Amino acid sequence: MIGYVTGRSPLHRAHPYTTLALAGAVLLAAFAMTEPRTVWLLVLAAAALAAVGGVLRSSVRTALLLSLPIWALLFVLYALLGADPRVAFGPLSLSSPGIARALVLGGRVTAIVLSFLTALATTSPHRLVEAMTARGVPFGRTFLLASTLTILPRMRERAAQILEAQQCRGLRLGGSVLARLRALGPLALPLILGALAEVDEQVLALDVRGAAAGARRTAVDPPPDSQIQRALRWSLLLLVTAAYAWKFWSMRG
Amino acid sequence: MTLRDLVLVRLGVAINLVIGQIVVALLLPIYLDSVGTILVAALVGPRAAITAGLVSQVLSAVISGNFSWLPFAVVQIVIALYASVVARLGAFRRLWTAVAAGIGLGLVAASCSAPISYFLFGGVTAGGVTVVTTVLRALGAPLGVAVASASYATDLLDKAIACGLVCVILRGLPRTLAARFPVLAR
Repeated sequence: MIGYVTGRSPLHRAHPYTTLALAGAVLLAAFAMTEPRTVWLLVLAAAALAAVGGVLRSSVRTALLLSLPIWALLFVLYALLGADPRVAFGPLSLSSPGIARALVLGGRVTAIVLSFLTALATTSPHRLVEAMTARGVPFGRTFLLASTLTILPRMRERAAQILEAQQCRGLRLGGSVLARLRALGPLALPLILGALAEVDEQVLALDVRGAAAGARRTAVDPPPDSQIQRALRWSLLLLVTAAYAWKFWSMRG
Repeated sequence: MTLRDLVLVRLGVAINLVIGQIVVALLLPIYLDSVGTILVAALVGPRAAITAGLVSQVLSAVISGNFSWLPFAVVQIVIALYASVVARLGAFRRLWTAVAAGIGLGLVAASCSAPISYFLFGGVTAGGVTVVTTVLRALGAPLGVAVASASYATDLLDKAIACGLVCVILRGLPRTLAARFPVLAR
């Protein structure tokens, strides 16, 4: 399952910036790691984060489902088609350096997906918007993140309605690639032109709500922040910088 | 950014994320995940288009749960800048110039995405492109060549169709609506 899960874990109670900083640090650190051992330590760290957030089982299951196709492709591209020397694995002959590279690349993706799924599951969108408002983030940015997610289901529904309507009028979705490409216009154009025609209405609605005023908004219930959490966020930045410094230093060496 | 720009950015993001639904229904071997970004670039300009591209990348990760593709956000910035420039040069006035601009965009986008794909992910990214990479690798092509060839092949087709579609959308805009976008009027 992808999305927020209510709970009372330390991650649920943490400031949203702290949870996102933890996931961001895993993302950046993953690309600094080049050895299978260090990458898998990062995967374990991401799993520990999920355990702290009380979402270990659901996050690990979803992360595995999402990274499984990537693991399959890595196996073919690196383990089967990789360079010599090769090792026997049952009836298969696998590339030894290819396996090491696949473990690094697959571990990276798994760590990133796992950490962000945990952040998504433990960060309430409402608390995130409140935290952004309290920090003086302009209305436009919070509006974009929060409101786009709300119009997506509406647009999807409209796309499905147009699809059905055009099929009723005799539009064929099958045939050659060229025929299917021709069907793209009758399906995409009404959706996009219809949405563009509503732009003025939406601008007026936002104007009425005072969105153009540009004044700093007051957060009704801002999530509490603490010195420890601020120190943790700075430490994460230092750790990521150190990881990249180490990577480039070892590359030069 | 004005309120109109903000609403258009939101629309651009929604188009980027929803158009995939139509592509899947038609079983087309493309993504068209940057139509919204190109449209916003042509209607408003680079700043709004870059925002649309970046927000699309983040929200697409939020919806799919796969955050490992976030580094490809750089490609969205490049697409936004390129589309703004060709829009100002009038590339979207005719279908053939739009398709030609799309081929150029495909070259530029692939030149950005192929190194990210190769160096950060070892060439294993979205399913379709990686299947092409794997086939080329199985045929004996070096990994770097296989990744680059797969990226160029898919991006050239994808961006040419995306730009052609944006041209058709812009030509289909009623005059009263088109007049509200100064960039388009130029």
